[in-house]
Amino acid sequence: MVGAVLVAALVAVAVLAPVLSAKNPLASDVEHGLSELGAPLPPSGEAVLGTDQLGRDVWARVVAGAGASLSIATIATLIALVLGLSIGLIAGYAGGAIDNALMRLADLVLAFPFLLLVILLAALFREANLASSNAPVYLTLGAVGWMTMARVIRGKTQVLARSEMIMAARAIGASPGRIVVRHILPNVAGVVIVVTALGFAQNLLAESVLSYLGLGPPPPAPTWGRMLYEGRAYYRIAPHLVLVPGAAILLAVIGFNLLGEGLRDAADAKVQR
Amino acid sequence: MNRRDGLLAVLLVAGCAPVDRGPKFRPAGATTPRDGGTLRFAVKDQVRTLDPTIANDEVALYVLHPLFDTLIDFDTSSDFSPTDGEIDPRLTIVPRLAESVEVSPDGLVYTFTLRPDIRFSDGVPITAAHFKYSLERTLRTHDSPFSAYLGDIEGAHDVIAGTATTCRGITALDAHRLVIKLSQVNPALLGILTMPFATPQRAEYVSAAGDQLRRQPDATGPFMLERWDEGDRIVLKRNPHYVKPTRAHLDKIEMLENVASDTQFQMFERAELDAAEKLAAPDYLFVMNEPAWKPYVHRSTVMNSVGSRMNIQVAPFDKRLVRQALNYALDKSHTQRLLNGTTVPAHGILPPGMFGRDPGLEPYPHDVVKARALLAEAGYPHGFDVEYVTTNDEETEKVALSLQSDLAEVGVRIHLTVMSYATWITAIGKPSGPPFSFMTWAADFPDPSAFLDPLFHSQPNKDGSSNNSFYANPALDALLDAARQEPDRAKREALYRRAEQILHDDAPWIWDYHRVTTEVTQPYVAGYEPHPIWERDYTSAWLDLGPDGAPVAR
Repeated sequence: MVGAVLVAALVAVAVLAPVLSAKNPLASDVEHGLSELGAPLPPSGEAVLGTDQLGRDVWARVVAGAGASLSIATIATLIALVLGLSIGLIAGYAGGAIDNALMRLADLVLAFPFLLLVILLAALFREANLASSNAPVYLTLGAVGWMTMARVIRGKTQVLARSEMIMAARAIGASPGRIVVRHILPNVAGVVIVVTALGFAQNLLAESVLSYLGLGPPPPAPTWGRMLYEGRAYYRIAPHLVLVPGAAILLAVIGFNLLGEGLRDAADAKVQR
Repeated sequence: MNRRDGLLAVLLVAGCAPVDRGPKFRPAGATTPRDGGTLRFAVKDQVRTLDPTIANDEVALYVLHPLFDTLIDFDTSSDFSPTDGEIDPRLTIVPRLAESVEVSPDGLVYTFTLRPDIRFSDGVPITAAHFKYSLERTLRTHDSPFSAYLGDIEGAHDVIAGTATTCRGITALDAHRLVIKLSQVNPALLGILTMPFATPQRAEYVSAAGDQLRRQPDATGPFMLERWDEGDRIVLKRNPHYVKPTRAHLDKIEMLENVASDTQFQMFERAELDAAEKLAAPDYLFVMNEPAWKPYVHRSTVMNSVGSRMNIQVAPFDKRLVRQALNYALDKSHTQRLLNGTTVPAHGILPPGMFGRDPGLEPYPHDVVKARALLAEAGYPHGFDVEYVTTNDEETEKVALSLQSDLAEVGVRIHLTVMSYATWITAIGKPSGPPFSFMTWAADFPDPSAFLDPLFHSQPNKDGSSNNSFYANPALDALLDAARQEPDRAKREALYRRAEQILHDDAPWIWDYHRVTTEVTQPYVAGYEPHPIWERDYTSAWLDLGPDGAPVAR
């Protein structure tokens, strides 16, 4: 419930960003947004959450960052969903050598330390001339986020494939494609939703981590991870530059995790019934 | 109070307790220089070689200058404020190992008379022949970056080419007199001879050291090498045979290698270092906001110029009116504030304090109306769209952002492309490359020719043209050629001022600013100011410590 409220609030903030802040998140106001010596300004009536080292409004940026962070996490989660779902379904239904190969691939990716793999992939995608867009970020997160989904779906599919319902479908001559799409998919949908919600929270956090490492969306895009990264050096003279995006990340990740857990409890309850 | 509340209380107290963020120590109060102590500082790279004939990296300079004295040096004892209009007195040439210099009226023959009492750090007397050997070794050494600087000495090219082993333009008249004859006038020669490669060297020492020469400097300066743990630290100690012992007050100078900039500042705050330089913006703001630190912040101009260069062969930058309009559109106070006041607004390429700079020239004022009018007159009443190429660090990012918003006001919309340093410098060097970009230039030696010739002469006579605005103006070429050959200082200055005026009006760059370096020292470091050429020159610094040799707590 709390999760749903937090997520709803987050989505609302992302959608209503232009209404919530009249200021341009990218515009630096050197004359009014910086002190005489060029230091970020603390929160005041002029700027509710203060300004950053370029004289930009932190509230405007954190609100705009909601949209950026959410959209990246959404696309990354969709990529991971499509990959994980197809691999899980194929492996679970086909079984044998195909299953073995696909699951060892999943193990291989899982065996890599997450951060190292992400840094490597993000750097590779950047090299591939995608540097000026968000593509490297969601491609990377999609590419490393499908394994959990694939494993869960595969397990479910294996059980279903041996069920009487599927045997009956096979007996009347339904093609494997039809069986998977018409009979297995609807039966794993509940699990998919739960894993997706949890994966979303993970991607949100991972995007911040990537941005913090300087591998996120290119500047001046105001993502929370980048705000945290750029503000970290100013922690003594302008602590709000770290506290504000940090709190935003914390709330969003808690929100999606709680939502995921809520959905799981709901799904479990249904199963028990 | 239960346990949980207790923990909370501790956290609250820890979070709220006033933290003393000022220096740990204070000066002991000595009024005359005190001898002794070790001055510690750090650099983020590591030194590759201590062979003065080869070493050319910035960090090596910090130890090479204390190790190697030359015939003449820049004055390291004066003070200068970057906002002063006159010539920086620290760029005045003063004698070191030479007692006097005599230049013939035609400017071609330099006669140096050596001090009678100069010695290497092992006590062996230095003679004129050691200087001759050293300069010839530079000419003969293929990987020496300095041989090109000596090209105007008679016979130098034969030695560089390998057709001669000794240079006929360099003569040791006797033990104490050295004569250098030039084939053409070069007023920058004295500046060039201040570089560490011009230190006297011994043939027998060089051959005995062999490939260990890079680790065994044959010191001639106020300090000598004590030890070098490569990649970790270089320790210098006072040279007992140095001719002017009053120039070295410190027992030792210790330079730590490979310490990241933010780590340097943390170490400095813990008083593990005595100086921290090139402060990152947050650290600089921190010390400037701490009243107890502020008096120990040093600011100094360095020989550089920063702005945006345009390829003047390519539309719309082929129109002078457009280039002038962009100069009027830039609000230099914005860059100044974004860079925390560590800049001096520029009216041209020559930095403050430099000989030949015209203090009468004013930077382009910020004038949006005028900029719009000029753009309209040039045929761009609605401005234009253009790509702007820059590099990926905090300073260049700030410069680009402030330029972007200032130019937007006059309708010029710039689209930023950020590149790595190496890609950027290659891209903008090509005539077909991006026509509009960030640009910065630092001079190798403090002479106007080190700025104007490589950047704006249509046919620079030295290798490695950096004329990436592709500026070609016969009138300017003639002025620069004449100035390079002019032995009379006053006439030479007049020529460079005219060159400055032409460039100011023609505006191949958007003149933005000259950078000021920042350094903070512990309160007990005395007698020190960063030098525009040597930067971290601690040779005459001293430590105002307590009677027990330890810093006095605040």
